Parts: sequence; C-alpha cells; structure tokens
Amino acid sequence: MKNKVFIFIGLCLFLFAFTAKEKALFEIPKSWPKPYYNFAKNKLTAEKILLGRVLFYDPILSRNNTVSCANCHSPYNAFTHVDHALSHGIDDRIGTRNSPALMNLAWHPSFMWDGAINHLDMQALAPISSHTEMDENFVKAVNKLQQQSKYKTLFYNAFADSMVTGERTLKALSQFMLTLVCANTKYDKVMRKEDSFTVQENNGYVLFKQHCAACHTEPLFTNLQFENNGLPIDTTLNDLGRMRISKLTKDSCKFKVPTLRNIEFSFPYMHDGRFKRLQEVLNHYTQGIHQTRTLAKPLQKPILLNTNQKVDLIAFLLTLSDKSFLFNPAFAYPKEALNK
Amino acid sequence: MNSLNNTAAINLLKLKYCCFIVWLISSFNSAAQQQSISIQSKLLYAKQVLKLNQWLYNSPHTDSIMLTNVQFYLSKIELLNNGKIVWQEPNSYHLLSADDSNSLRIQLSTPANIPFTSIRFHIGIDSVTNYAGAQGGDLDPTKGMYWTWQNGYINCKLEGKSTQCNTRYNEFTFHIGGYLFPDNALQTVNIPCNNTNTVDLNIDITKWFDGIDLSKQNHVMSPGQEAVLLANKLVTLFSIPQK
Repeated sequence: MKNKVFIFIGLCLFLFAFTAKEKALFEIPKSWPKPYYNFAKNKLTAEKILLGRVLFYDPILSRNNTVSCANCHSPYNAFTHVDHALSHGIDDRIGTRNSPALMNLAWHPSFMWDGAINHLDMQALAPISSHTEMDENFVKAVNKLQQQSKYKTLFYNAFADSMVTGERTLKALSQFMLTLVCANTKYDKVMRKEDSFTVQENNGYVLFKQHCAACHTEPLFTNLQFENNGLPIDTTLNDLGRMRISKLTKDSCKFKVPTLRNIEFSFPYMHDGRFKRLQEVLNHYTQGIHQTRTLAKPLQKPILLNTNQKVDLIAFLLTLSDKSFLFNPAFAYPKEALNK
Repeated sequence: MNSLNNTAAINLLKLKYCCFIVWLISSFNSAAQQQSISIQSKLLYAKQVLKLNQWLYNSPHTDSIMLTNVQFYLSKIELLNNGKIVWQEPNSYHLLSADDSNSLRIQLSTPANIPFTSIRFHIGIDSVTNYAGAQGGDLDPTKGMYWTWQNGYINCKLEGKSTQCNTRYNEFTFHIGGYLFPDNALQTVNIPCNNTNTVDLNIDITKWFDGIDLSKQNHVMSPGQEAVLLANKLVTLFSIPQK
C-alpha cells in the first residue's frame, strides 16, 4: 500500500514537472480559444525553438546569404517590414504585397494575404523560394545548413540527430513562430482587470465593437477570414487576393483580415501598404469604401464617425500595443547562437 | 489454510507461466507469418524500358521525344480480395523516380498467405496529407515534389523535350497536382493481379502523350481543370503484364 502511495506521488510530481515545463514554452492566454495548430505533431522543446529562432534570423536561407526571414519580419515592428508599402527582398527586389505582422500564429488556419498556405509548417517554403523574397532553392538551403557545424550541433540538440532535413527545418521554424504570442497589451490588462481604460480609450472601445469587431474579432482582433474591405483596385498590381487561390469570383478582392494587435508599429497598412497612418485607414472606412459585389457585409452601410470619434477610436487602437512582445528577449536576434 | 493459499498461488503462477509461453509461441508464429510482397514497377516508352535523356521514337506517331524527369507518388497501397480490402499499408507514401531504380521497387510487409485478387493505390497525395504540415521521408519538401508559391504536393512530374514544342529548348513540363475541390487531381488505380510475391507493374509513359498536342499543350504547372483532365490520363498508364 505504502509503495502505491509513493508511486502515485511520484507520478503526480512527474506530471506536474511535465506540465510546468510545457506551460513555460507555450501558454494559451486565459479565455482565448483553443489554438488551431496541432502541437501533438510538433511537440515544443526549448532546443527546437532555439533552432527555429536561429534559422529565422539567419540569411543563410536566402540565395546569396543576404536576407533572412527577419528582414521583412523584424521584431520591433511586430514582425513586419516597417516603412515599405511593398516589402523588398533579395537584391532589393520589390514584391507585390506588404509583409504581414507575425503573432499568435498558432490560432491561424491559413497564411498569406490570400490564404495560399494551409499550414504554418509549410509557410516558410514560400518566402524562401520566392524570386522577390529569398530566391533560394529549399534543397540548396537545407544542404547549406548541413555543411555548417553550428547547425549540426543545433539540429543534434533539437532532434538527437545532426542530420538536417526539410521536415526538421520547417518544424523548427514553426516552433519559434508559435512562441510569438502577443497577449499583454493594455487591452489585455484591462480585460484581466489589472488596468483600466481612460475615458477616451473606452469611448474608442465602444466604437470599435460597433464598427470594427465583426471582422477584427477579439481577442485575436481578426476573424481569420477573407474579406473585401472596399479598397479600389490598384491597377499597377491588379491583385485579386483570395480569388487567385480559390479561383472563385465570390472571392474577388478578398484578403485575409489582419490582426490589429501592435497596429501602432506595423504600418504601413493594407495588403499593399497603401496607407501610412491610422488616420488614413479610418478615413478609408468612413469615406473611401469602394462598393463592389464582394464587399464585406459590415461595410455595406456607411460608417459615420466624426473627428472626435476617430481620435477616440485611435486611442483605443493604441491600447493594442504590446511592448513586452516587441522587446521580448526570447524573440530577439539570437546573438550567442548565431554569431558562432 | 496457509498451504492451501500457497498451492493456489503456485497454480496461479503456473497459469501465468503457461499464458506467457503461449503468448511467446504465438508471437514467434506471427513473426514467421510475415510476408514480403514487392511491387516492381517498370517504366516503358514505346514498348521499351524508358531511358531518360535519350531521344525516343514512338513509331505510330513518329514523334521524337526526350524525357528528362519522370517522378510520381504512389500512395495508400491496399490489397483487395474480391473487392474487399484485406490489407492496407500503414504510412503508405512512395516517391517513384525514373532515375532511381531502387525507388521503383516497393516492399510491402504483409501477413503471410493473405489472399488478394487486386491491388489498389493512389497516384498522388490525398488532401488530408496535404493539410498535415511538414513531413519526412518521401514526403519531405526537399524531394522537390512540393509547390512553394501555394500549398500542395505535386502528384506527378513529367519533363522533357519534343521537337513539336515551340518553347525554350523545346521543353515541356507537366507538374500535375492539386488537392482542393474542384481541382483535386488525385487518382486511384485498381488493377486485378495474381496472388504472387512480386507484383509486376508496367507504367507506359507513351500513353501520357496520346491525345496531347505538344505544340499546343506543353506547360502545366499549377492545379486547375487542365491538370485534372491530364491527371485522369495517369490511370491508363498502369497495367499488369500478362504472363
């Protein structure tokens, strides 16, 4: 009997230690939905996350070793490419879209502005091989990694085997990206009753729920769907968004709804980065909506906001900034590991 | 009382021991009852074994064609007995490449003496696997059978040259795939075969070019209706030689 008690206590301790460790690597913020990503197929470990982080910041994944993922997804800009309407990649080649901000990716069922990618693991393949982004053949990239002793060690630590494979490379990148959880904004603190909105922010929050939340749904501030938000087509790009993938006319000019978290830092805005300031974005929604057949339902009636209301709304949007996310040392350039 | 208890305990032990022996024998037996069935594929062009990077002539059409790359996925292999599935290969994904003769032989490890009258498999990768994220082995994206600009495995690659192609270096490129409705290019082949340890499978590439005007149709590299129509042809390539 005594033995059984000991075994039971031991088991409890083991389980506790296990869950405590898991918790530290990835936590679902309180009252958030269940993540979409299947962690059972790619169990997080500190070693794999580190490997993913090193890969994310290493230009080795580009054709001439000049451009890393972080070039267009820099941490201080909420993992997007600040100040460029259209992101530029290798040899300063310019793409056709504004790089999306990376955060809370574990909850996303699809990736890219048009949802071309159906799984976080496979996402990195697109920018690595894109002519305007990193322009590298993935097989060559994997071979380059295999030749570096630094990566032999990192892969060995992560997978108990120094062999570099495509699967391992992609899964490690996923692991790092999965840890990019933004859930500590002033808004989150208010929701957790650790802080409170100013009168202005609160007015903004009421307006937000009334006019914006249908698509920018809390707590992720995106409904993860594709919507046409009434932007007139830029004829220099003729980007039809989701329709390129689904080939359905009902998807014409629909783009994935971006999160508004850290919007203060992720300018310029829209899939083609056409708006530099939040003021311009609000002006678009109040005066600039281009009526077409695929326009999002909530935008079909005009949104009326006076100048004061716009100021209030922006005050609320600024409560979605998370400095502890932007400056989280765990997300930053891995100096010790990468400069070896 | 005590001795009675002891005898009972010994009897129980004996029973356990017997059970263990029975289990041991049965497990040995089942190990011995494993069987290896191999599927030996042979790529053909105009009734000859296909050779890559050589001009090939198909006499009825007097076309000249050079194939530089032939690769396809064979997946979800099943053995059927009078239409009923008797065995399925777990984790069944095989990339067959014309330039790698080892890849043309697939070893199946099945229970012994399993009766089957036909073999069934997919050409390509099913949609569930296309949604499953990064995978290894033959499904590793470094195998070159994965589109990068959008998701999805390439079910089949046929690349080469033909004097009919008014393209750069007379090249043609068929990358056939697509897993999303209505452009799902996955194909299922079900062919009767003899219950033998080696299933010979002929894959006649000549048939791919039947009804294709290479001067007009020579580049298909994305999912869509055209890819689906071409994928339908793939089934006709497979046959089991009559002995």
